[in-house]
This record gives sequence, structure tokens and C-alpha cells, in this order.
Amino acid sequence: MVLLQLDPFLNELTSMFERGTETGSVWVTLKRSSLKSKVVRNKMVTAGEAVEYKCLIRATNGKKTISTSVGTKDHQRFQASYATILKAHMTALKKRERKDKKKSAEADKREGTSKRPKKS
Amino acid sequence: MVYITSWDEFVERSVQLFRADPDSTRYVMKYRHCDGKLVLKVTDNRECLKFKTDQAQEAKKMEKLNNIFFTLMARGPEVDLSEVTGKEQTDVQPTKRGRGRKQ
Repeated sequence: MVLLQLDPFLNELTSMFERGTETGSVWVTLKRSSLKSKVVRNKMVTAGEAVEYKCLIRATNGKKTISTSVGTKDHQRFQASYATILKAHMTALKKRERKDKKKSAEADKREGTSKRPKKS
Repeated sequence: MVYITSWDEFVERSVQLFRADPDSTRYVMKYRHCDGKLVLKVTDNRECLKFKTDQAQEAKKMEKLNNIFFTLMARGPEVDLSEVTGKEQTDVQPTKRGRGRKQ
């Protein structure tokens, strides 16, 4: 498991998406973590210190895993870049418009495969 | 595995799940370009909520959900979430930062 800084992580994530275009999946996991063991955390709590939490992000394509942790300061910047990457790569999803629905309904009738009998 | 059909229900229950146990709740996203499918999962290792889709408009909604989770995870589960201005609500956690920049 490779722990990276924010920007290299984003670059690696981009190339993962690109590699997975023909075949394969990309998993991205988000979890909150303080990155400290339970013992240390309990000590901090009893000492009265605020425990610093970060957002742990992991990405894998089944073969390789990369990860990074985002703190409060960086999360907005990461959020924006992450959203851009997703938007750029999730192009295989269907676009659904009402006009298309009617057209596809007609096309289905022509082909003789009426899966949705009532939808106008 | 519980697949939820309504997006809004999925969002609400995921946020509830996270707020109830922020340390063990995680949010997983799986995207398969070759199949054109997107699956989202939120679990606290006891309960699991899933949502799957192949629609581009749901991907846009998912981006908003990503923002919500980022904010919740980085700032803390007590953050007030007005979905639109979820990013800008910095004032709810005075204990961590005493800077008060945005005023």
C-alpha cells in the first residue's frame, strides 16, 4: 500500500482511471481516521487534547493500491480536484433525458422488445 | 447487501450512519468504465447501505455526496450540513481552531 502526498495521489488516481477504461474497476474508499493507535488516542483524550482527525482516502484498481490522508486545511482543494477527475472519467454512464426516453420507447416497440409496457 | 433505490434515502441514511459512528463508518465507491456502472457503499461494519446506478445524472448527485462526506470526515460529525453550503460552515467547531477568519 503506497501512501502518497495529495498531488501525486491525484495523478496516480487519474492514471488508474485511464488504465481501467477498457477493462477493470476503480475503487475509492473514504474513511475518517486520526492515524494514531487506540493507545495514543486514549492518552490524548485523557490529557484533554483535541484529537486531530483526517480523511483517509484509498484507491485501488484491484492490483495496485494508493492512499493519502487529507486534513481539514486541504480537504476543499482535494474535493475540487477529485470532483474534476471523476467528472472527466465517468463518461460511460448513460445520459437520461425525457426526450430520449420517448425515443427509446418507440425504438423498443419497433424492435419488438417492450420491457417497459407503461412509461410515457 | 441492501440496495437502496431512492437517492435521497441513501444520502440521509448514510449521513445518519456516519454521525452515529464516525470512527468505523466508511464510504466506498466502485466504478467500472467497461460496464458503465457506479456502485456506492456506506457501512459501519454492522449495517451496510448500497446504491448502484448507470446514470450520468446520479454521478453528479454523487459528487455532492462526496463533498458532504469530505466535510463530515475532515471537520467532524457535528458539522452543520446545509447541502448547498456544506463547505462554508466552518463555524461549528470552535474547539479546534481559534482563528475565526470568516467573519
